[in-house]
Amino acid sequence: MNVSKKLYAYYLIWPALLIYSIFFVLPALAGLYYSFTDWRLDRDTIKFIGWDNFERIFTDRTLLLAIKNTAIFAVVTVIGKNLLGIALAVGLNMRLKTRNLLRAVFYSPSILSVLVISIVFTPMLRSDGTINRIFEAVGLSSLSQAWLTNPAIVIWTVAAVSIWQHTGFQMAIYLAGLQSISKEYYEAATIDGAGSWRSFRSITLPLLLPAININLMLTLIGGLKVFSEVFVLTGGGPGNASQVVGTIILRSFGEGSWGLGTAVNTLLFAAVTIIAIPLLIFMRRKEVSE
Amino acid sequence: MSFTRKMAWRNYLVEGFLILASLLIILPLLIMLFGSFMTSSEVLRFSLRLPQQWQFSNYTEVFREGGLGRAFLNGMLITSVSSILNIFTSSAASFILVRRETKMSGFLYMFFFMGLIAPMSTITTIRVVQWMGFYGSITSVILIYASLNTAFSVFLYSGFIRSIPKALDEVAFLEGANTFGVFFRIVTPLIVPVNATVAIMVFMSVWNDITIPLYFLTDSSDWTMPLSVYNFYGKYSRDWNLIFADLVLTSLPVLILYIFCQKYIVSGLTAGAVKG
Repeated sequence: MNVSKKLYAYYLIWPALLIYSIFFVLPALAGLYYSFTDWRLDRDTIKFIGWDNFERIFTDRTLLLAIKNTAIFAVVTVIGKNLLGIALAVGLNMRLKTRNLLRAVFYSPSILSVLVISIVFTPMLRSDGTINRIFEAVGLSSLSQAWLTNPAIVIWTVAAVSIWQHTGFQMAIYLAGLQSISKEYYEAATIDGAGSWRSFRSITLPLLLPAININLMLTLIGGLKVFSEVFVLTGGGPGNASQVVGTIILRSFGEGSWGLGTAVNTLLFAAVTIIAIPLLIFMRRKEVSE
Repeated sequence: MSFTRKMAWRNYLVEGFLILASLLIILPLLIMLFGSFMTSSEVLRFSLRLPQQWQFSNYTEVFREGGLGRAFLNGMLITSVSSILNIFTSSAASFILVRRETKMSGFLYMFFFMGLIAPMSTITTIRVVQWMGFYGSITSVILIYASLNTAFSVFLYSGFIRSIPKALDEVAFLEGANTFGVFFRIVTPLIVPVNATVAIMVFMSVWNDITIPLYFLTDSSDWTMPLSVYNFYGKYSRDWNLIFADLVLTSLPVLILYIFCQKYIVSGLTAGAVKG
């Protein structure tokens, strides 16, 4: 043990540790401090003001709406990306002739920039856009909507675009998980007379658990950090109807109210950590038991 | 016999349904692609049809007006340097983290792992970079990308290096090699596939990102392609044919990378996500 400590010299960790600490950890810690100050771009002095920023966040209607929207976006995309991702993966794990082509098609949007997809969808989501025209053509004009300008649904629209783009990525992780399940289990189950739904529930789902865990965590954390989709599709509008935490931080940055902006970021940090840590502990426990 | 026939029917049904569903993915992308070759009035219907006349000139015009040559080079510089930097630092760190089985290395692994979860603190990062005196520079953006991707890369490398038998390094140590030598001569050749995965993942996420350039690149001559496209989108909001051509151009590098490196993406996802 002692010998191995000497052999594996610590200095190989330093470059990564330094870059990561200076540009990621240090700002995070500094943010924790500045959340409790009245730090503004246009003022020289920075005063400690206790919980004032947080009080303001929880009494300001726009900021509250941004928090609510972030939560809606995260929940909707977690459910959508994972349910559809599992369904696609199970389908594309079957012996289909066009299997490889279909896998590539479903995966393809997730390699493109969120910017590209958001801009492509902008004209299609207008009230005279492609999507409403399709609804009208098939006699479903009652479903027509002002997708991006109706405050009541705009955050759902943004979530739908995100699901459209990234479900393929979740599908790929689920496919990798499915391929690590031995075929023998299914053969045994078939001999025992289990139908496909029964096999799915008793074999596929439990053995897919590592992939489900990692996907839940990735989609949840990604959902809470949402920024680019909203920034490009709506800019937070109409009015402030689709503001999320990420766009509020940009706005505070632009307005120079940096203390408030970092406080919003600190809240996001706290929310993500509180939700992700139990998932993490659960995953590590699984690893140990394996 | 009847059983396999039933299976075959079910497969056809699933296949038919998935092909229909895939149209939902293909159609918007084709609207963009075909639209990029249309005239500015023809494109405004935003429906799926072939251009009456293929306007290849859209692409040359976008390249000139959007200043894309410069943005392309900026993007290439930023993505390649931050990927290479990230590969070197993360793989070296993971090697030690995995091999030294001490409390400290366990703690440091969690310390890095937190980076997968915690959101970046943008405003204070700007402050740190300002304080160090290079806010607004390409160098700052490269270092920030390298740091943002450290957590994910350490996660991938650790999983993989753990599967390399320790006996291999021990032999080398007995022959008198030092840590540095063992890492470069024994471990580095073995982790080439992970290097490829990390390179591709970092390349794709950095190339596609608009957030960091938006906050950190104050001078538009340093912008990467997607940010230039965003700027162009604001200015030429009526010429959708040019906007679409712009979008296609900024997507080309990742598409080409994807086509050539598919197997590394899949193997990386398997190693990192499912086994790790």
